[in-house]
Parts: sequence; C-alpha cells; structure tokens
Amino acid sequence: MAAFAQEQLDALVNSMYREGFLDEQFQQIRALDEGGSPDFLVELLGLFCADADRMLNEVTVVLNQPIVDYKKVDAYFHQLKGSSASVGAHSFNLTCMLVRDSCDKNDKEGNIFLMQLLGGIEPGQTEVL
Amino acid sequence: MMASPLFFPLALVLYFSPLKKQQIIEHISKVSEAAMEKMKGEIVEEERSNCDNEGDGKLKVRILVVDDSLLDRKVVERLLNKSEEGFEVITVDNGKKAMDILGLNEAETEPAAINDQSIDIVLTDYCMPGMTGYDLLKAVKGQSFPKPIPVVVMSSENEPQRISRCRAIGAEDFILKPIQIKDVQRLRNYAKPNASSPIVGSKRKMKPLELATESGGGSEKRPRLAGVVVA
Repeated sequence: MAAFAQEQLDALVNSMYREGFLDEQFQQIRALDEGGSPDFLVELLGLFCADADRMLNEVTVVLNQPIVDYKKVDAYFHQLKGSSASVGAHSFNLTCMLVRDSCDKNDKEGNIFLMQLLGGIEPGQTEVL
Repeated sequence: MMASPLFFPLALVLYFSPLKKQQIIEHISKVSEAAMEKMKGEIVEEERSNCDNEGDGKLKVRILVVDDSLLDRKVVERLLNKSEEGFEVITVDNGKKAMDILGLNEAETEPAAINDQSIDIVLTDYCMPGMTGYDLLKAVKGQSFPKPIPVVVMSSENEPQRISRCRAIGAEDFILKPIQIKDVQRLRNYAKPNASSPIVGSKRKMKPLELATESGGGSEKRPRLAGVVVA
C-alpha cells in the first residue's frame, strides 16, 4: 500500500517536472531529507505556502488602494520569487518575474491577471476584493 | 621484574600480614579503578573535542549565515550541515545581529574588532531590510580583525552591477540563489580555519596503571605509586 502511494507520488512529481511546475531545486530539497523521511521537504513547503498566502493577501490589499504602490507589490513579489526558487517551484517563480515586470510598467490589469494565475484572486474577478 | 610497574605493589603485598595484604590489594584495586575511570573520562573528553572536527584531517569551519528569509536560512543551513565540508553553522535573520556576533558595534569605533565567536566565514544575502548584505560586507571589510574574515554574498538577482559592487569592496565571491552543492565546496575553499588547530584522529593508549615520575634531579627516576597507604 505504501509502495503504491509512493509510486503515485513519484508519478505526480515527475509530471510536474515535465510540465515545468517544478525544477531541479525541488530534487535537491528532497535529497536533503534524512533517512527517506520527507520531514524537511514538508516543513519547507509549509513555510513557502504560508509565506505565499500571507503575501498574496497583502498584495491584494495594496492593489485595492485607489493609488497602487507598485514598489510595495514589487517588494512582495521579490520575496516570493526568492522563496519559490528555493523550493523549486519553477512556474510560480516565472510568474513572480512577470508580476515584477508588470509593476515596472505600473500595469494593474497585468498584476490582477497574474495574481489569478497564482491563485491570489478568484478567476473571473474584474475587481480585486 | 624490577622494571615492571607492578613490582612495588607486589612487594608491599608480599611483606605484610594476610589482613594487611587483603586491605592493600583492595586499596590497589580501588586506586586502579579510579585511575582507569579518570583516564576513560579524559579519553572521552578528548574524543568529544575531536568530534568537533571533521574526520580525515579536516577542521570544522564556523560559518555565519545572514538571511532575512526563514525558508532560505533553513535550506542553506541544511545544505551546509549535510555537506561533507565540515561546517558549523550559525544563522541570523539580519545584519545587525551579524554585527553583534562578529563583535562589531556601529556606535563605537574600535581600532580592532574582536571576533568572539571565531567566525571563519560570513555568507550573507544581499537584499535585506534595514542593514543590507552590502552594508554588512562593507562593515566587515572595514574592520581589522586579527584574522580577516572572508565574506560571500548571495542574491537571487543576477545583476552584474551588484556583483562588481560587492567585489570592489572585497567580497570573496558572489553566489546566485538558490545555493547549490558546488557553491558549498567553493565556500569551504574561502574559509581557512586556524592552521595551528590540532589534526583530528589521534587517541591516547590506555595503560593499566598510570605512574607519576618524581620531579627533581638524580640519574634515576623512581616511579612511585600514587595513593597507596602503607601501614
């Protein structure tokens, strides 16, 4: 049973590599786990998800302001870009770079679209809540 | 037999009454046991201090990692600890704490900073709130430590200007995050632990009874057995 679950997990992870969601950094993190137990990986992913959740919420607040402070948005995504690179979340990392490009252009619509991709905003929302 | 370390105890046993002999034998046993325990303790202590060092003649390198990101600190710490390069890792989340560990005080200007915790190398993130990695680099390189401390800067941004700026004020290297195994090997090359530190791996041989030699002159050194009470 455990072997089957492990096979399924490996298949999922491999597909995520193929589709570009993960990169070799993820493999490096897995290799840092001791004795085959994924505790370290789980801990890191937990930290990353908590950080991402918090920052996306804060960016949402900033984007809701009448005058958007793009420097703040850029600073948040700079951090997210770093954390996503550290855990091997490749596509997330690329999206953060695109958000930062949007910030350079003061492109609010671009930011909203990309936030939807990251799951920070529900798809179809034209106004940031 | 004269040369044997057991000669004097045996002689004492042979020349006394059975009761005294028994007492002497018991006492010798206790002294031997105590000496053995003491020596065992000393050997354990020596092995423990040797364990602070990596095997194969390598010395452990004390590395100070400075990064405001908890996730990045954990990754770097784990990578350094798991590598076979022999690192002892200290992590802090800001430049000010790093300055405290290095014995640098922004308020005072001391002619020579004291590196109390004997940091062999600093690995710092570039972008940090408050005191940046660049500021920390500048502070470290601006001080005259008894032994200069190498500073390696890491950043998620591959900006040539940033890199040359750091190198211009003395950074040993600039590493692009996320840090890799090959980067860890480079870090080891920059850090040079004190060359006079002992090489690990030597062990004392245990002797059944440790005898102290008398100090002072004389052509002969007579061994004496410590702790034997002769009635």
